[in-house]
Amino acid sequence: MSPTLLAAAAPDGPSLADFGKDPLWISIIKALFIFVFLMLGVLFGVWTERKVISRMQHRYGPNRAGKFGLLQSVADGLKFGLKEDLTPNTVDRVLYTLAPIILVVPAFLAFSIVPFGPSVWLFGHQTPLQLTDLPVAVLFVLAMASIGVYGIVLAGWSSRSPYAILGGLRSSAQVVSYEIAMGLSFVGVFLFSGTLSTSEIVASQAHGGTVGLFGLDIPLPSWHVVLLLPSFLIYTITMLGETNRVPFDLPEGEGELVGGFMTEYSSSLKFALIMLAEYVNVFTVSALSITLFLGGWRAPWPISLWDGANVGWWPMLWFFIKMVLVFMFFIWVRASLPRIRYDQLMAFGWKVLIPLNLGWILLVATMRVLQVESNRVALVYTLAAIVLVGCIAVWFRFDTVLQRRREDREAQVEAEFAQLRDAPDAGGFPVPPLDLPHYHGAERKEVPSGSN
Amino acid sequence: MELYVPILVLAVLAAGFAVFSVTIAPFTGPKRWNRAKLDAYECGIDPTPQPVGGGRFPLKYMITAMLFIVFDIEIIFLYPWAVAFDQLGVFGLVEMVLFIVTVLVAYAYVWRRKGLDWD
Amino acid sequence: MNNTFQAPTIEYGQLAPLLLVFGAAVVGVLIEAFAPRYLRKSFQVPLTFVSLLGAFALILVQVFVSGVPTAPAAMGAVAVDGPSLFIWGVILILAAVSVLLITDDDHFVPQAAAVPGSAEEDDALAEGAAHTEVYPLVLFAVGGMLLFAASNDLLMMFVALEVMSLPLYLLCGLARRRRLLSQEASVKYFLLGAFSSGFFLYGMALIYGFAGTVDLAGISRALGTVSGQDPLLLIGTALLGVGLLFKIGAAPFQAWKPDVYQGAPTPITALMASGTLVAAFGALLRVFWVALGNLDWDWRPVMWGVAILTMVLGAILAITQTDIKRMLAYSSIAHAGFLLVGVIATGDARQNADALSGILFYLLVYGITTVGAFAVVTVVRDAGGEAGHLSRWAGLGKRAPALAGVFAFFLLAFAGIPLTSGFFGKYAVFAAAATGGALPLVIVGVVSSAVAAFFYVRVIVLMFFSEPAADGPTIAVPSMGTAAVVTVAAAATVVLGVFPEPVLRLADQAASTLFIR
Repeated sequence: MSPTLLAAAAPDGPSLADFGKDPLWISIIKALFIFVFLMLGVLFGVWTERKVISRMQHRYGPNRAGKFGLLQSVADGLKFGLKEDLTPNTVDRVLYTLAPIILVVPAFLAFSIVPFGPSVWLFGHQTPLQLTDLPVAVLFVLAMASIGVYGIVLAGWSSRSPYAILGGLRSSAQVVSYEIAMGLSFVGVFLFSGTLSTSEIVASQAHGGTVGLFGLDIPLPSWHVVLLLPSFLIYTITMLGETNRVPFDLPEGEGELVGGFMTEYSSSLKFALIMLAEYVNVFTVSALSITLFLGGWRAPWPISLWDGANVGWWPMLWFFIKMVLVFMFFIWVRASLPRIRYDQLMAFGWKVLIPLNLGWILLVATMRVLQVESNRVALVYTLAAIVLVGCIAVWFRFDTVLQRRREDREAQVEAEFAQLRDAPDAGGFPVPPLDLPHYHGAERKEVPSGSN
Repeated sequence: MELYVPILVLAVLAAGFAVFSVTIAPFTGPKRWNRAKLDAYECGIDPTPQPVGGGRFPLKYMITAMLFIVFDIEIIFLYPWAVAFDQLGVFGLVEMVLFIVTVLVAYAYVWRRKGLDWD
Repeated sequence: MNNTFQAPTIEYGQLAPLLLVFGAAVVGVLIEAFAPRYLRKSFQVPLTFVSLLGAFALILVQVFVSGVPTAPAAMGAVAVDGPSLFIWGVILILAAVSVLLITDDDHFVPQAAAVPGSAEEDDALAEGAAHTEVYPLVLFAVGGMLLFAASNDLLMMFVALEVMSLPLYLLCGLARRRRLLSQEASVKYFLLGAFSSGFFLYGMALIYGFAGTVDLAGISRALGTVSGQDPLLLIGTALLGVGLLFKIGAAPFQAWKPDVYQGAPTPITALMASGTLVAAFGALLRVFWVALGNLDWDWRPVMWGVAILTMVLGAILAITQTDIKRMLAYSSIAHAGFLLVGVIATGDARQNADALSGILFYLLVYGITTVGAFAVVTVVRDAGGEAGHLSRWAGLGKRAPALAGVFAFFLLAFAGIPLTSGFFGKYAVFAAAATGGALPLVIVGVVSSAVAAFFYVRVIVLMFFSEPAADGPTIAVPSMGTAAVVTVAAAATVVLGVFPEPVLRLADQAASTLFIR
């Protein structure tokens, strides 16, 4: 870590050393707060999503239960409880029951390292507004996400029905594929903050360092989103993929797989738990994006000019606002984008995001070396050039290959059509001429739609 | 270890909630027995018999899982490297370029052998 | 954050042979990825030979230009000392000779993924498909062997063990004929190998718990300073020993050897029987002499038992075998036992150097003879592939006197008849053991050698003194490579049997510095 960042790190909020000092009852209060926050978040998140998406589609959305339909989710939750709890007689009962629990618990746990704000006085104790922090906090989130995959696989597998198994396999394949790109997109952040602890990552976004480029000291903006924009964009994509949200909600593609891995969880509390876990996961990745890239609980620029913006309880408000905005982005994406095909999804994850990410990491690392060891500039520039040229060469190579393949395929199809056109029976099977009037209905008059 | 105590508290809370929900689910709802309801759902046709113990699933997913492990381990190597990067300096960069290139060789092999294609 | 890191140093010069082999393997993978199918083999074969021989040349440069290093390289992880360099040379020679066999496409399956006997298999066969991945895999395995014999800490040793083993598991399943047998061998080898790796890892963990380090020299130091942790140390030593003894195929961990040797494609069997054994003995010596040398009072009785059991079991079970490859596998087990006698013969530095030099020489001569013997096996064919059953070999001496003669000569070398290289190998090891106070072991060794000689001679009798069967096996015209292997191996066996002096002196010199710490 460069001296400028190191010097700035101390007063900018809690660091790892400030954790682990709470008495148990404060931990319980905080845990309870997170639990309630997430439960209410899910209740009103579902309502918000339905409402916003309705307005985007020119309809009202839920407006019966309570004012503006605010209690709709509560009613839905109650209804879940009052439905018959079906356990199909083919399922593996133990795992079938266990799977929703395995999904829910890690989803909640991942939230425990999210920083809501700086240290505050709480019932006579000074304590950071964060349940806990670990030296490996971000890794902990990834670990919890991986355990969540077990829930998906087990739910699909224990259901013993084709839709559920396929959905579970697809879903887990998707999640693990996007987890790699997600994990790689964090590396840039760690390079710049020099730690995996979330509170310290937030602290490292307090002040931008400077970069000496061509003899000039250029001040860097403080949030990682500016400096590591590609990382952030990739993270944004992967967080959609990781949470199985539109446009990557293939596992639940109703058109092909009914309900995916949760097909056999008919609408009872178990299904409610699965839905709960999905929404909590959405919140977790949103919170993580805020913590790692969007300055955490720190106030955005015009507000941050006010001295009191980043102390006390205010940051919790900034955090909450950021959270709502990110969640709105999820909804906006859902309203705008169509679902993509599964092979496209996997190809995008493996063939685009991962190489792009690795190239970007090396580039960032090279820049970082430049910043830290300015005495060996020539070597670093050479390395940067090699990395850049290598990336471009690899990309170019693969791209031309794909291009050529696509052209070949088109040419082949074209040739087949030409053959069929010229000699319909050359293919060895009876082919009706493509220009039969029968097929086109050329004689019939076209009726414009809308006119009866 | 104190750092992990709050996580444990939250875990107890979340697990308690989840187990509670799953346990009371059978008691809060009605019970109306119907054979068709208890069949696996396949859009109305008779359920496909599923082999006991799970049976086979496409090899494709296993390849994805193995690739995931390879890259996940790469990530695990990248994290400490990134955290300690400023101390490692140029040496760290050179070594990591070598490491990533080595992994990319395998990646290119898999790509060329259509290991990353779905159908 | 608080503690700063010291960027490690790496002696690239000393590690150059290793890096060359691994680098060539990586390039081989790239060739597989990008070269068109019909060109792959013509890239791979030269690349493999150039890297193996280049690595050998680099070793010569190291020895004659830079001198043998006196301190471990790569922050103490790899010890490039006299024994290492000798073992590297032996492994590279054996690997290069084995690759000569491997270049003969006829041994490998055209498409491993096709179900045996299926239409796809026939298609692949007709198409002339081939897995040229074999070459990079062999290079990875050889690189792992080199590293295994030279690793100076347990962690590096484990990595090397896996790098060496995983490609071999795969290669075992690629036989062109009798594919089910081959795949079975592959799976058995993989499962048992994974178990033994697990043992090794557990042993490593316990020893780390005892010594607080995985460095071999560090463990040796800890033996003198740490007290009251004996269970950790002893159990760890035992588990570590299991992992290593499995790799050399010592009894009671020998069960995989016959099955795997029989099922694997014969060139790969040759590579395993020679290279792996050499590398595994290098690692075994390093662990038991460098790290646990001061514990010899504890491990020596167990090793005595293992050595006796291995020799006796290998010799006696070989008699009952009816398949030539299985017989050679049991003979390999017996030879592992003879070599173990040398491992036990520790004492003062002079004694250790003698024993080490004997082992090194033995490994060289045994490895070369083995590759030659398996090369002969590849040529004696039936309609369904190699004629494995011993009865098929009856009367071979009348149909192909030269080939049968060479094979008989190899068998005599295995038996340790004077004027063959095997005699001096056994003599060197047994002499060192006798002065090292392991006389009873030597007696057992000599007796089981005599028993072993019985079944070697039985094959010779079968080949020369019984009538050839009417529908006897055909003798395939050996490819250039196979012919070269047989010639080289036979020549080496003769020369080392008549003038062993220069190589013995070389082994003496390599062993004189013992293992560096």
